[in-house]
Amino acid sequence: MKKYRGRFSNREREFVYKFKVGTQCLELKVPLQFPVEEDASHLHGRLMLLHNLPCFIENDLKEALSQFVEEESLRDYDSDAEASLEAVKSGEVDLHQLASTWAKAYTETTLEHARPEEPSWDEDFADVYHDLIHSPASETLLNLEHNYFVSISELIGERDVELKKLRERQGIEMEKVMQELGKSLTDQDVNSLAAQHFECQQDLENKWTSELKQSTAIQKQEYQEWVIKLHRDLKNPNNSPLSEEIKVQPSQFRESVEANGRIYEEQRKLEESFTIHLGAQLKTMHNLRLLRADMLDFCKHKRNHRNGVKLHRLQTALSLYSTSLCGLVLLVDNRINSYSGIKRDFATVCQECTDFHFPRIEEQLEVVQQVVLYARAQRRSKMKDSRDSGNQSGERDEKAKNTDRNYLNILPGEFYITRHSNLSEIHVAFHLCVDDNVKSGNITARHPAIMGLRNILKVCCTHDITTVSIPLLLVHEMSEEMTIPWCLKRAELVFKCVKGFMMEMASWDGGISRTVQFLVPQSISEEMFYQLSNMLPQIFRVSSTLTLTSKH
Amino acid sequence: MFPLKDAEMGAFTFFASALPHDVCGSNGLPLTPNSIKILGRFQILKTITHPRLCQYVDISRGKHERLVVVAEHCAQSLEDLLRERKPVSYSKVLCIAFEVLQGLKYMNKHGIVHRALSPHNILLDQKGHIKLAKFGLYHMTGHGDDVDFPIGYPSYLAPEVIAQGISKTSDHTPSEKPLPSGPKSDVWSLGIILFELCMGRKLFQSLDISERLKFLLTLDCVDDTVIVLAEEHGCLDIIKDLPESVMNLLKKCLAFHSSKRPTPSELMQDKVFSEVSPLYTPFVKPASLFSSSLRCADLTLPEDISQLCKDINNDYLAERSIEEVYYLWCLAGGDLEKELVNKEIIRSKPPICTLPNLLFEDGESCGQGRDRSSLLDDTTVMLSLCQLRNRLKDVGGEAFYPLLEDDQSNLPHSNSNNELSAAATLPLIIRERDTEYQLNRIVLFDRLLKAYPYKKNQIWKEARVDIPPLMRGLTWAALLGVEGAIHAKYVAIDKDTPIPTDRQLKICVPASPAPGMQCPETPCSSKPQPEGLDSLCAPFLYLNFNNEALAYACMSAFIPKYLYNFFLKDNSHVIQEYLTVFSQMIAFHDPELSNHLNEIGFIPDLYAIPWFLTMFTHVFPLHKIFHLWDTLLLGNSSFPFCIGVAILQQLRDRLLANGFNECILLFSDLPEIDIERCVRESISLFCWTPKSATYRQHAQPPKPPPESGVRSSTPYFTDCPEPPKTELSRESISLNDLKSEVSPRISAEDLIDLCELTVTGHFKTPPKKTKSSKPKLLVVDIRNNEDFIRGHISGSINIPFGTAFTAEGELTQAPCTTMLQNFKGKVIVIVGHVSKHMAEFAAHLVKMKYPRICILDGGINKIKPTGLLTIPAPQI
Repeated sequence: MKKYRGRFSNREREFVYKFKVGTQCLELKVPLQFPVEEDASHLHGRLMLLHNLPCFIENDLKEALSQFVEEESLRDYDSDAEASLEAVKSGEVDLHQLASTWAKAYTETTLEHARPEEPSWDEDFADVYHDLIHSPASETLLNLEHNYFVSISELIGERDVELKKLRERQGIEMEKVMQELGKSLTDQDVNSLAAQHFECQQDLENKWTSELKQSTAIQKQEYQEWVIKLHRDLKNPNNSPLSEEIKVQPSQFRESVEANGRIYEEQRKLEESFTIHLGAQLKTMHNLRLLRADMLDFCKHKRNHRNGVKLHRLQTALSLYSTSLCGLVLLVDNRINSYSGIKRDFATVCQECTDFHFPRIEEQLEVVQQVVLYARAQRRSKMKDSRDSGNQSGERDEKAKNTDRNYLNILPGEFYITRHSNLSEIHVAFHLCVDDNVKSGNITARHPAIMGLRNILKVCCTHDITTVSIPLLLVHEMSEEMTIPWCLKRAELVFKCVKGFMMEMASWDGGISRTVQFLVPQSISEEMFYQLSNMLPQIFRVSSTLTLTSKH
Repeated sequence: MFPLKDAEMGAFTFFASALPHDVCGSNGLPLTPNSIKILGRFQILKTITHPRLCQYVDISRGKHERLVVVAEHCAQSLEDLLRERKPVSYSKVLCIAFEVLQGLKYMNKHGIVHRALSPHNILLDQKGHIKLAKFGLYHMTGHGDDVDFPIGYPSYLAPEVIAQGISKTSDHTPSEKPLPSGPKSDVWSLGIILFELCMGRKLFQSLDISERLKFLLTLDCVDDTVIVLAEEHGCLDIIKDLPESVMNLLKKCLAFHSSKRPTPSELMQDKVFSEVSPLYTPFVKPASLFSSSLRCADLTLPEDISQLCKDINNDYLAERSIEEVYYLWCLAGGDLEKELVNKEIIRSKPPICTLPNLLFEDGESCGQGRDRSSLLDDTTVMLSLCQLRNRLKDVGGEAFYPLLEDDQSNLPHSNSNNELSAAATLPLIIRERDTEYQLNRIVLFDRLLKAYPYKKNQIWKEARVDIPPLMRGLTWAALLGVEGAIHAKYVAIDKDTPIPTDRQLKICVPASPAPGMQCPETPCSSKPQPEGLDSLCAPFLYLNFNNEALAYACMSAFIPKYLYNFFLKDNSHVIQEYLTVFSQMIAFHDPELSNHLNEIGFIPDLYAIPWFLTMFTHVFPLHKIFHLWDTLLLGNSSFPFCIGVAILQQLRDRLLANGFNECILLFSDLPEIDIERCVRESISLFCWTPKSATYRQHAQPPKPPPESGVRSSTPYFTDCPEPPKTELSRESISLNDLKSEVSPRISAEDLIDLCELTVTGHFKTPPKKTKSSKPKLLVVDIRNNEDFIRGHISGSINIPFGTAFTAEGELTQAPCTTMLQNFKGKVIVIVGHVSKHMAEFAAHLVKMKYPRICILDGGINKIKPTGLLTIPAPQI
């Protein structure tokens, strides 16, 4: 369809100019490339200089040149127009397809022609909530959220107690049976008992899971209804019982009296902060923090000191629908579920508290799985298309590799995103897929995990996530092979790459100040931590302190 | 730019399209974001000024590739005429058509096509004349390449535009890039609009977009598009009644094939406009400040001068140009994004709701619906001037029309004048953000610059106070003495022939405004060394983005003044001399620092070359450079030394505390420098420095002084027109000798000047007025006692070189040395016979942290012929 155009652009034409010097007739021929992109007057200046032309023809030449350029360009425009009209007329370009491409462009990009927006519950709720949390009602909201949280924790507490009891009882039973083993009971009896025990446990767990699910669903519904109602009442303040309630509520804060050992001890956190500058001429300022902490510390609500909890909650709630979000990078394997490792721990933390705004983590993961399936199918068909037309042999290898794979899994460097309103300090979790390769010592800046980090930072840019926490060593747990040199090498790589990405980001978003937190596992030694914190200022440009001196 | 008059300012916003993931440019560098490309292309639109076009004022880049464009705007448009649903009178239609064509013709002359012509983009000003809005959208978006939305409105698209389809450049290899729309497609759009005006109703309202476009393309087969269009809309009877001229016009505009359609300029010549065209005088662009033509050529004063003042009302602000008004609007707290948010043009969803679900490794994201807030809403929002007018309501008329008499001191100061002078004492940063103060300065500079070069002296005087940022480009040009036919000169330069340095330049200057722009070659060398020139160009190019000729002219005035011969092929001797003088200046002003730096071997060669080669542009961000250069341009070629010393002094504590390696690290990433303090200190350093101390043999040779009336007050802090060379001036010495000396030499002339010795006889310099601010100085004569008694400079003390220092390097105790100690901190001039001894003596004093030590060039012998030596009365 577009081929015919090549004929009309980028043509060379000859500009001929005749002039007289005395009796001599001279001719100037200049080949000109069309379409002319530069200014005709500059071209003119060049011609004068290059050919050493006499000054008396200067103005005449200028006029002739610009007229020539103008006429020839017009001719080009006309012939181009003619050719494209001809293409439509002759059927080379399908009229209907052409018209529908235009129509699609208009409906997809302009408000005037776009389809009216269907109201979305999520966004309305977002607006309402954002209004409320920035009003005096925020206290009430937080209290309500906290009460719900407490009742969920009570449920979880009960579940844990019951499960524990069951396990104890089963343990005793099993012990008894084991003693009897070989005497009156056979292996088979033991096995069946074990199976029975397992079933019991499963039943009990299922029972609790469904109960939890049910109560969170109820809570969520209640909560949302209540928020909407509150918002409505606040809008017309007369005759609203709720606004009265708001004034009263703070006093009747429900004390939770549970110290059943589920308190997370505050381990000695190590922390260093830096303010850095990026860029040479246009400097942007950012904050970096190096922390020795567990990834999930940013998610868990700490129950033991109430005030802190409330402040964190308020902070997180205030910024939930704002343009300064907090994110966290979790390193996961290639399966999208929450059955093992950090994924399970994370899911457990998520369940400790009802998410009043977003779907439960399981549901979000299901959506991700569907998106993965769909996207893979799309890519596959696209790749097929390109292969059919382009026939690249290089891609075929990759293709062969891809067909073996399970389409539900994701590849290293890819990541999925979940949103949360119920975690203590973060709103967004990036689940970055890594393989065992990251444990090896020699990964480079082109490693998928690093490229994944870059894409994460890019999403941070496009979606106003201003604080992001990254596992510095690209592992959550330390193991044997991670020696001191390994750590140093890895930290240097990540620091340097992140620095590069942050500089890139400045051109994407105009240099908004960000906070990047680098986390190292708890098990790292203090000495190691300080080695890392010494390394950071050597890689990033730490902004120099402003010295205040008295005027002299 | 025209005065604002009754026009208003409007803003509209759109998004540039996002770049594809992980695509690099052909040079391997990351692609320039589309919003920045648009920002660059926009600049030229600001210079397009025509009464039929809405003046573009500013563009700003927001988050996520959002762009906000500010332009002149009017509330009324043809849309309002159509809304009345009545046919517009035919004479009016002709006038509208003619005015639109005027605008189109002017645009086409600048290579710009409208493409988005529609009734609501044809505005009506208070007098009923039309103004074309959004005429630059097609140009600034790179013919629609850099935005997602199509440019133009479905009903008004020309058939060939529709047939060309929507294609982005990225789909094509550059060789088969389709041509953009030509000027004739606007004529079609105009035809449709005129048709609608004649009918008094909009066309194609019942059809959806794709049907409309299909219908337009089928017009090919018909003989008369006008009739068919009329039939389609059931208004044949109106068409039949149209006068011949209007009918002809419509037919011409709505010729299906563009080859049969006239261009705007051809159409204007058509006889259909024979009645209308005499009503309009062709527009002549007023001559700009630095043009070769006579600016007052067309000026005719009416017989009665008072006629001029007749139509002046009290709205002084409306007489300022729209650019100034917008600048003041911003200073008075105007916030573009906020205005747009208030009018709900910018609606953004909370980002957490629009997060994607999944990202592939190549950055492609999935599971994210299209964000509705990114759709184009091309409503223009009026910017209210209320706040600004309110702010300026107390500013009197005299602020808008200041008198430009040279001597204002004996005029009675009005109240506001006092306030102003109070404001003038505030820090620069605050002054630059003060609306009233800036208004006063802008008006003043505007008027002064209009009177350039006649008011050159006063521009210098006012520039010493400060330079308003808005007028900086022109003011700098005035300070550099740019004059003459700069444009013709610039055009005459060959900018396209490739020379070997091009490649490097391309890397250095990626953001140069026009593709053909090359670094101006310095007049002193045919092959410039590009190293450093790019940074040097930056300030001028930034300030004169749309006037490369002026930027070039400024550069060619700047380089010989400050960096004479720096860009020679072999510039080592020039730079070496420069750096040696610089290290002497460090020793002169800060001996302690100089001692330390010499001790650790941290010589200026290691850090100062980029400072001077780029006049600090390599070291500081642009906004700081502006303030620094504001002062630099007022000083002479030795002022950069003082800036260098002032920078070192700000880092003094850290330099003194550190060794070589730390110093290198410190300078590789220069810490924050307080630029205002730096400027202040460098001025005071400059005042302390004897002129001849910074003498360089490779400096620009002084020009023969031109008409003394102009020059006398031009240089800066002290009156120092480059003095004519006399036998008392400094003589050039070899580089090695220069390097061996720690302290600078000063000329006999300076010494005489500083000692305020009265010169007898043949000496030319007229005795200067004594100034109390003159640094006091001590002359130390290091000849032996006998010579001293035979004749010496009055007021000098004698410390014979041989006995001056003890073995430990301390000064020997004597009445004279105590005197020397008392004078520590003042300028001390060493005088003697043997230059080696003088240098050694000076070096000793510098070691002992005596500041401001210098040596008399040529020793006592220079003074002898002047007859200034006195013989003390013999002591009894």
